[in-house]
Amino acid sequence: MSASKLDLLQGTLDLMVLQTLTTMGSLHGYGIARRIEQVSGDKVFLNQGTIYASLVRLQQRGWISSEWGVSSNNRKAKFYSITKRGRKQLSEDAVNWQRLASVMSRVLGMQEGGDQ
Amino acid sequence: MIDWLQQFFYRITSVFRREKLDHELDAEMAAHLELATEENLQRGLSADEARRQALICFGGTQQAIEQHREARGLPGLEILFQDLRYAMRALFKNPGFTIAVVVTLALGISVNATMFSMVSAFLLRRPVVNEPDRVAVIASINPARGFLPDTNPVSAPNYYAWREANDVFSDTSAADENRSVSLTAQGKPEALSSAAVSSNYFNVLGVTAHLGRTFSEGEDQPGWDHVVILSHELWERRFGSNSSVIGSTVRLNRENYVVIGVMPASFRLMGFTPQLWTPLTLTLVDRATAARKDRALYVFARLKPGVSIEQARLEISNLAHRSEQDFPETEKGWGAAVRTLPDFLVYSFGIRNGLAVMMTAVGFVLMMACANVAGLLLARATGRQKELGIRIALGAGRFRIIRQLLSEGLLNAVLGGAVALVLAWWGIDFIGTKMTFNDAISAVPLTLDRNVLLFTFGVSLFSAVLCSFAPALRASRTDINTILKAEGRGASAGRSHSRLRTILVTGEIALAMFLLIGTGLLIRGLYVVEHQNLGFQPEHLLTAAVTLDSARYKDAAQQASFVRDIRQRLQHIPGASIVAVTSDLPATGPDSVTVQIKGEPDLPANQAHSTHDVVVSVDYFSVAEIPVLRGRTFTEMDNATASPVVLVNQEFVHRHLRDREPLGKQIRMSVTGPAPKWCEIVGVVANVKNYSESPEEHPQVYEPFLQRPVPSFSIMIRTKADPNALASDLRSAIEQADADLPLLHVMSMPAVIDLQKGGDVLFSRMLGVFALLALIFAAIGIYGLIAYSVGQRTHEIGIRVALGAGSSQVMRMVLLEGLTMTAIGAALGLAFALALPKVFDAMFTGISFAEPGVYFIVPLAIIAVSMLATYIPARRAASVDPTIALRNS
Repeated sequence: MSASKLDLLQGTLDLMVLQTLTTMGSLHGYGIARRIEQVSGDKVFLNQGTIYASLVRLQQRGWISSEWGVSSNNRKAKFYSITKRGRKQLSEDAVNWQRLASVMSRVLGMQEGGDQ
Repeated sequence: MIDWLQQFFYRITSVFRREKLDHELDAEMAAHLELATEENLQRGLSADEARRQALICFGGTQQAIEQHREARGLPGLEILFQDLRYAMRALFKNPGFTIAVVVTLALGISVNATMFSMVSAFLLRRPVVNEPDRVAVIASINPARGFLPDTNPVSAPNYYAWREANDVFSDTSAADENRSVSLTAQGKPEALSSAAVSSNYFNVLGVTAHLGRTFSEGEDQPGWDHVVILSHELWERRFGSNSSVIGSTVRLNRENYVVIGVMPASFRLMGFTPQLWTPLTLTLVDRATAARKDRALYVFARLKPGVSIEQARLEISNLAHRSEQDFPETEKGWGAAVRTLPDFLVYSFGIRNGLAVMMTAVGFVLMMACANVAGLLLARATGRQKELGIRIALGAGRFRIIRQLLSEGLLNAVLGGAVALVLAWWGIDFIGTKMTFNDAISAVPLTLDRNVLLFTFGVSLFSAVLCSFAPALRASRTDINTILKAEGRGASAGRSHSRLRTILVTGEIALAMFLLIGTGLLIRGLYVVEHQNLGFQPEHLLTAAVTLDSARYKDAAQQASFVRDIRQRLQHIPGASIVAVTSDLPATGPDSVTVQIKGEPDLPANQAHSTHDVVVSVDYFSVAEIPVLRGRTFTEMDNATASPVVLVNQEFVHRHLRDREPLGKQIRMSVTGPAPKWCEIVGVVANVKNYSESPEEHPQVYEPFLQRPVPSFSIMIRTKADPNALASDLRSAIEQADADLPLLHVMSMPAVIDLQKGGDVLFSRMLGVFALLALIFAAIGIYGLIAYSVGQRTHEIGIRVALGAGSSQVMRMVLLEGLTMTAIGAALGLAFALALPKVFDAMFTGISFAEPGVYFIVPLAIIAVSMLATYIPARRAASVDPTIALRNS
């Protein structure tokens, strides 16, 4: 397993979490994981457990905050919400990500054109 | 940056909140699974299936926990803690082993820390002055090569000439650091070493007074110069640290001086130990050409900004060259040496070489200690192969195993270092009490300072790596298949370990050989010097030093009459037989001068004849019991009005007169004072060693006191019984002659010599201890290896015995193993040690290191010791019972 692949994966998941919290407001770990799966049309294969490493990382960076609360069906759960710094980070990262994505698709497109 | 810090803070705190955080995560995961299960139930799955699906979607819970921990904490730190905890358990499980390792390391580290405290005190401690590296010290280079000839003081005319002509110093001052004054307070005179310094001296150094002030401009002019600054030590001792001393009057050399300041305790320039400072007053007489021979000043100068010490050196040596051309009569061959203040202080102290030898010796001892510990760890690694094999089988990586073993080494070294600090504290204390053989040495305190602490820490870490790296690397290459299958059977399992250990032990023997031969040569060389015949009879001699002040003893006639007076008084002391005075006691290193012989062509400066020069009174040769070989000695008739005469020693006749008839020859010496005259040689005396610590013979000239009186001299009394019994009579006789005249160093001649040699004795004792430690380490090393190898080969030996090998054959086999190692190691050490006499010759002049006996005795001793160390396990091997040995494995 190469390090770059892992980094990319991590970064991606962190970004997804931030985006989810921006649109959904306060949400618990399970909710975040389900939401990502749903939005991606179940195309992302996500071990839901990995979400917790991402959450603690984001929290340590001060991009999200957490508090214990009660879920809609009366269960005690930890709820996460995005902070101001988190929003700022998200907007920066989203721009970067989109630029990278468009560059990547252009590069890959060029390769196919060359083959023909 | 702030983000990074905050994150690091979170991470490091979470290492210590592990339990709480784990607990929270558990709760969170449980909630997660419940929520998922519930949702699945709503989708219509059965209870079991709902839970199963939830778990599948969640993925591995254990992995999630691990990922969480890794993300939130510092995985490296946690592993280190784990390793240390594990190491700690391993250490306590095997206390005997741990003690052996810790004690070995502690001994090795503590001798290093102790010696380093001397390095720290003498070489690393910087003088407490402003920017010491920007202060240059100028000294003269004496063409008459003596001890450290390039630290000779400078004459006043040269000081003035250089101060005015140079373009490299922003401020230049001079100091006569070796004066002596008598301070009278409460009616009791006391002789103190003092310094006379120009009024800007303290400004050049950039130091201020602790109390009061330093000298101001103009206070070095006659009439204004009766002011004095006290050292902190003197202020405490004689004036009870009373701050009202400022402005009070004290009597120095029978004149009143006003105390204007007290220097801080930290102001100390290593080799210089003045207890008070007075202004240096230089008159026109001091600037005259005649004063060029009076070399008493060290020049302290501050470099101009941007000027390097090399530039200053070039400039001053050009100026010295100019002086030499302008005044060839007095300056021929003299040069100038420029050093930075810290460099000059260390250099003129002359302790570097001794410390270098000591540090090398203790460095070797440490390496041997580490080799022994590495050997122990290697031996244990074999015993632990199974444990390590299991750890590897369970997924521990190679790096992880190395790290774990290094942590163990680290823990050992930290424990060793801690014990070593205690030992070093004691060792430093012990050496501190022994290092009192002169004022300058005892003024330098030895302490366990920050440098020593840092050094000890560094050495501990270094030895941790040194002694556990090889075993760790070895262990990490463990092949689990063979280990787990082998069950410790077979003779080949430990072979590669043994090879590494064999190399270590062979190296140890080589080091021990080298160290012991080096120590042997030094101790033997010093022993020969210590027990040499000095050429005079030091027993039953009482000595004391006197300095006549210029206030009461203004001229040569008064000095001569004082000497005549006290010689008569002292001769009447019961128990005293004859009395003499001399400018320098025998064997205490008198001054060197250059000498011309009438009728011989002038020699170029660098080949000029040099000789030691001593002024002695009538009866000196009978008091010291130096045989007169030719001609006559001095009489009362050889006085100021008679024609000048001298005596020379045999070596002078041999070296400078090439064994021709000496009597009647005329010689002229470049001595201080009025224009030197031609003196006739009227007698020849036997050689006396000029340095009690060196066996060299030097040419020597004796001048009669009545013709060239000197203000500073020593009294020598030949006594009939114990000289110390006469000390109080001596004091009261001098007091009757002059109540204000202090006596210095009242002691017997053997005590004077002991004091001079104190350094050498301490030096050779310490080296002896280190060498002994080295020998013990080597013996333990070889014993440990052979004992281990016998233990490993019990099975093999059992088979041999079962097949008919006799016990003597087995014993021979084991002894041969030890002997081979010893022979190879000893040969290696011997080969390197052959170069030692040359190295020492260059480092310690005057001591002869041609001692072939050492090269014979030391190897014999090492072979004997290692044979003994091998013999014990060999005997055990010989008594192996095959039935037990074979059944056991």
